[in-house]
Amino acid sequence: MESYRRNFRAFLAFFTPSFAWLGLFFFVPLGIIWLYSFGETEGLTKIRLTWTLENYKRLLEPEIISLFWRSVWLSVISTAICIVISYPIAMVIATAKAKWKPWLLLVIILPFWTNLLIRTYALLNILGTRGRLNDLLHWLWSAGDRALSMIGLGDYHLLGERFVPVKFLGEPAGVMIGLVYVYLPFAVLPIYASLERLDRSYLEASLDLGASQWRTFRQILLPLSSGGINTAMVITFIPMLGSFLIPDLLGRGQVDMIANVIERQFKSGNDWPFGSALSLFLLYITFILLALQSFHAMRQRKREEARG
Amino acid sequence: MNKSESPIISVKGVTKRFGSFTALQDISLDIRPGEIFALLGPSGCGKSTLLRIIAGLETATEGTVAIDGQDMTGIPANKRPVNMVFQSYAVFPHMSVADNVAYGLKLERRPAAEIREKVAEALAQVHLSDFAHRKPDQLSGGQRQRVALARALVKRPKVLLLDEPLSALDAKLRDAMRLELVKLQESVGVSFVIVTHDQSEALAMADRIAVLKDGVLRQLDSPAALYKRPVDRFVADFIGSINMFAVTGRRAEGGDAARLETAELGAIAVPAAHLPAAGKGALTLAVRPERVKVGAKAQKEAQGEGGLVSVAGRLGDVAFQGNSSIVEVLLEGGGSLSALVSEAEADHLMQAESGSPITAWWALDDMLILPENATAA
Ligand SMILES: Nc1ncnc2c1ncn2[C@@H]1O[C@H](COP(=O)(O)OP(=O)(O)O)[C@@H](O)[C@H]1O
Ligand SMILES: [Mg+2]
Repeated sequence: MESYRRNFRAFLAFFTPSFAWLGLFFFVPLGIIWLYSFGETEGLTKIRLTWTLENYKRLLEPEIISLFWRSVWLSVISTAICIVISYPIAMVIATAKAKWKPWLLLVIILPFWTNLLIRTYALLNILGTRGRLNDLLHWLWSAGDRALSMIGLGDYHLLGERFVPVKFLGEPAGVMIGLVYVYLPFAVLPIYASLERLDRSYLEASLDLGASQWRTFRQILLPLSSGGINTAMVITFIPMLGSFLIPDLLGRGQVDMIANVIERQFKSGNDWPFGSALSLFLLYITFILLALQSFHAMRQRKREEARG
Repeated sequence: MNKSESPIISVKGVTKRFGSFTALQDISLDIRPGEIFALLGPSGCGKSTLLRIIAGLETATEGTVAIDGQDMTGIPANKRPVNMVFQSYAVFPHMSVADNVAYGLKLERRPAAEIREKVAEALAQVHLSDFAHRKPDQLSGGQRQRVALARALVKRPKVLLLDEPLSALDAKLRDAMRLELVKLQESVGVSFVIVTHDQSEALAMADRIAVLKDGVLRQLDSPAALYKRPVDRFVADFIGSINMFAVTGRRAEGGDAARLETAELGAIAVPAAHLPAAGKGALTLAVRPERVKVGAKAQKEAQGEGGLVSVAGRLGDVAFQGNSSIVEVLLEGGGSLSALVSEAEADHLMQAESGSPITAWWALDDMLILPENATAA
């Protein structure tokens, strides 16, 4: 890695395109957004840089705080559901016969080959009050109702007089179903990778020492795959927090997340400075969290060194 | 040891098939209390599979395993009174050394003080007391193995199962660990079943050895008996080094003798009593290098003909081995044989030029007549 200093020109020729790309389409726009966030709108189209902190102060308005809060808890719960669903899936793939693995992985990755917009529209069709999911629930309701009639409880209508469709669209539940559906593969893959790497003899050793399957799962398998779980949490939580299309379509304007409000500032709201402050706020939080995490890791390392 | 004592492990007619592949074929053997028992065989012969069947980590397709008189069929690994030291050691990387050793005890819901005491005792036994709070990634391979040993022994198993316990160690540590394992076994007193592909390891450590080949038990005997009286060509070849000559023709001779033809030695008359009783396939004549004498023709003639086999050849390489040397004799009938000679004899032979005529001979009684496979019907 020293040689790039000596061959500076070759290095320059090689990396200039990527640096130029990054600079032009990432850092420059980010800088502009950063400047906007200290600006004020003037008239319909102008923004004056006044170094005002007004936009940041507005982040503390109750409306915005509750928006952030909703985005966070929707993402946290969806991430948790994703992990809980994807762990067994990853286990099935990791323990499948070698010849089945590529096919099972393909099934997991297959949805990526369809555009997100199309998949989300498909979900609209499934989650609507007359959608497929409600058809299924209706069928289950009928079956349950019939079963109750058969055992002579038909007159009590324990399951209600008639089937009432569940409303998913425009509700947090619908948005969470969408988030889980879209980001599930992102959670399965890292967990699968960590399980695949895991030496099976750890599990066998645990059983051999007298542990039950459940205890082996909790005390050996989970801790030894925590790396995969952490990665899965990070790479599902972060894009969920910033997701736009899913709450936009499935939330029907009732379940806004941060990105929906940001979009409104840049479009109908025509308040670019506030939109910029909103956008950057997430970035600041991410930086702070990363800093805290590396601080924590550093302290842990120091402690281990002191002990070892 | 009392031979009439009932076995601590009794394997009866165990067959294991993976799909259409048969990894173990009708294995029956008994392991006695307090012995070191080796499962020996080339890689892929099914040793680990048999060990895992005993541990309950694999189920036999046919046959049964009994531990201390109790049939283990249907009893899972976590309920069997045996413990295993895995080939990779499988020391839990996220737990300290002490927590690894305590893992099996905590499952037994013993009082914390008792667990602490037992862990300390077990760690002392494997000389790891100073490492109790280390994480496995701060240990050497040999130390990790000791953790695995302590972790299994602290459970007071009726039998300790060890899968290739020395194969992951470097050569020097391996020799030291051989001795230490034997000492450890003596001090804890439970039977050890050791899987190994290294015949010298098995010979050095085991009280009895089961030799496996392609999932079939070829011979079960003490190390000395395996060496002196191998039942077939495979066992003879696998245990120690040996000169072998394929028998190409066989003819009954008058009385109680048979004539065996070999390309290298010519025809040799042997007593019919020496012929193997069981087995199938071509016969092989075999003689251990230390039984072969070499010298000038006159030297051999001085000993007379009675019960000797001799063969003429030329002197080949002499490989110095400290207090003895291996002499290669290039046979006139093609091929070669090796003889183990003393330092003095080697000095004497070295005076002759390489390629000069030489005679090799051995007692007829020292020559083994082996079938290809004694277990084949
Ligand atoms: N789970 C399995 N599935 C299929 N074949 C297996 C399995 N475990 C072992 N084998 C096969 O059984 C044979 C014996 O394996 P093993 O007992 O591990 O041999 P070794 O004597 O080297 O310990 C090998 O050919 C191996 O490929
Ligand atoms: Mg093996």
